[in-house]
Amino acid sequence: MIKRLNRRFEKMQTLVKILSAAVLILCVATGFVYGKELPPVKIGAAGPFTGDLSKIGLDALNAIQMAVDEANAEGGIRGRKIEVVVGDDMGDPSKGVLVAEKFAMDRNVLGVVGPMNSATAAAALPAYDRAGLVIISQSATNPDLSERGYRVMHRICPRDDAQGPAAARFIVEEVKAKVIYVIDDKSTYGQGLADQVAAALERMGVKLERGQISSEDRDFSPILTRVKAAQPDLVYLGLSNPAQAAGLLKQAVGLGLSTKFMGGDCMKEKDQLVAGAGGAAEGMYITAIGKDIAEVPAAREFIEKFEGKYGAMSVFSGQSYEATKILIEALRAAAGDDPASLNRAKVLDAVHNIRDYNGILGFPISFNEKGDVLGASIYVYQVENDDFVEIKEYPAEV
Amino acid sequence: MHGIFAQLPQQLINGLTLGSVYALLALGYSIVYGILRMLNFAHGDIFMVGSLIGWAVLQLFINGGAVLASPSLVLLLMVCGAVVVTSLLGGAIERFAYRPVQEGSRLTTLISALGASIVLQNIAMLMTQGRAKAYQTELIIPHDWAISAFGATVSATRLIIFCVSIGLMLAMDYAINHTMLGKAMRATSQDREAAEYMGIRTQQVIMAAFIIGSGLAGIAGVMIGLYYTQVDFMIGFSAGMKAFTAAVLGGIGNVRGAMAGGLVLGLAESLGVLFLAPVYKDVIVFSVLIAVLILRPQGILGKPVEEKV
Repeated sequence: MIKRLNRRFEKMQTLVKILSAAVLILCVATGFVYGKELPPVKIGAAGPFTGDLSKIGLDALNAIQMAVDEANAEGGIRGRKIEVVVGDDMGDPSKGVLVAEKFAMDRNVLGVVGPMNSATAAAALPAYDRAGLVIISQSATNPDLSERGYRVMHRICPRDDAQGPAAARFIVEEVKAKVIYVIDDKSTYGQGLADQVAAALERMGVKLERGQISSEDRDFSPILTRVKAAQPDLVYLGLSNPAQAAGLLKQAVGLGLSTKFMGGDCMKEKDQLVAGAGGAAEGMYITAIGKDIAEVPAAREFIEKFEGKYGAMSVFSGQSYEATKILIEALRAAAGDDPASLNRAKVLDAVHNIRDYNGILGFPISFNEKGDVLGASIYVYQVENDDFVEIKEYPAEV
Repeated sequence: MHGIFAQLPQQLINGLTLGSVYALLALGYSIVYGILRMLNFAHGDIFMVGSLIGWAVLQLFINGGAVLASPSLVLLLMVCGAVVVTSLLGGAIERFAYRPVQEGSRLTTLISALGASIVLQNIAMLMTQGRAKAYQTELIIPHDWAISAFGATVSATRLIIFCVSIGLMLAMDYAINHTMLGKAMRATSQDREAAEYMGIRTQQVIMAAFIIGSGLAGIAGVMIGLYYTQVDFMIGFSAGMKAFTAAVLGGIGNVRGAMAGGLVLGLAESLGVLFLAPVYKDVIVFSVLIAVLILRPQGILGKPVEEKV
């Protein structure tokens, strides 16, 4: 027995010797390669790539990858390849912080597209700030994010304090609703947006009632029964998950509740909201924080390529592509003639100094001092024959 | 606050529908506990698997374009599919997660069940990519099939859920009290060793309890799919929690108690919402549990020690 163990031990020893030799050779070899070629520039992609919101997240990730592939085909950053590092936060703030710390530790990550959710962005911002790592969010709309004085914060979507009042204006001026019921899901985004809508409605002197559910709820009968008793002209949904909204719309029909519904930007999701609600979403109003890029001529090429490769676009695909393109543009500007000199501080300045970037969103993009986007609009869409039809545009004023 | 009385009829209906599903789920919990004194934590996840199987069967028929031909047959096949898969799953859990550790302490079986629960949840997450699946209920039961009375709307879906659940519970109650298998189950529950001396194959009785309990959970899964209209891999946890609460509320191990507990829980949840914000509905549920445990620790219908099934 002991002899056998000994023999095994000897075998192990030779194995370890061979392995260490191999590792040594590898180290030397890669050293040679790195001596000639710079390491790739890495772009972090932070978002919910699994879990409840994975549909939105994965389509965003595809768009980010597409923008990077295109840039690499054009030679990357002065010959330096670009690589996407995936950071899945599942829409969970605590995981958002871990993702930020993972990106921060990798010195080659020079910029981040995301985080997509307001709650994850709010939690992860301090970590990004400590690392001096610039972020461009395609969809985090909570106003507070850019009011906390973090210089790394940038976003290409208008804030909820622009979206909320626009929705309120539409409710009062166009729908002419008198009694309104506002439901939210307690999330940073959902409740934040509902607060903005409610505040704007109250300023306009409209009567409203509020109710809350939680983002884990699947049974909406209790709240819908309350809504039914209040007999509102319109129900505003401050929810972050379009699939949850679809369930709510369907259960409302089951309860014999007939009223108008309205929701925020993340609802503009054909698969989950319209198909998921099986006809119950017909007539619903939705505010969007970007134009439907199908109507922007400059976006035609992107849409064809994207849909040819990944199938139907989802709500934030275009914005994710744009945010990535802006980050790459900034990387190129920061690199100048010397791609080896790229660092996070330079990239942060370059993103901050982007002026009138003309991409696929249909308006020139610049950032203000706080990192908020300038010149955006809020659009109101309505679900008609299982599709979204634009019916109104408001400038995004805070 | 819009007239509590105006909402009362509808919330009663909501409570009865939801309560009947909780009761069905609690029944499975109670049968297994009654016989083994073991909390089957995987029960909620078996329920979740049942709801996903129901969705898959429905989707199969929608893609085949055969739903409109015979909606009631499709519904029946959804239930059958769910029952077959969940019963097999229940049997497998008994064989591989419970039987190998049954000689160990009670904590060992508990942890093993917890492990089975995590495995099921993660498999379901991987298979659904973590996305919610929408039951296209309108294709089986049109939205406008509903009765309205006293300000309450009772949709056909709710009637089906309620009738199926109550029917199954009555059948189970009969089976446990009047059939040989039921007798064997009661005997095993009272004293396993003595039951073995009397020639009862207790291992098979335990297997049967797992299979029956899981089959009921599968049916409850399809029912909840019809009710929520959306299911995902996470629904098992909170439903399992509620079912466990219902079982304890009614007196764990007691079959009629589980049914009563489920209905009480569903009604408490719905009627509590009349006075408190809907977001506190889980608070109400667990407050009721705490109150019952303080005032009547053995549960509503539980009798201390003897005659537990």
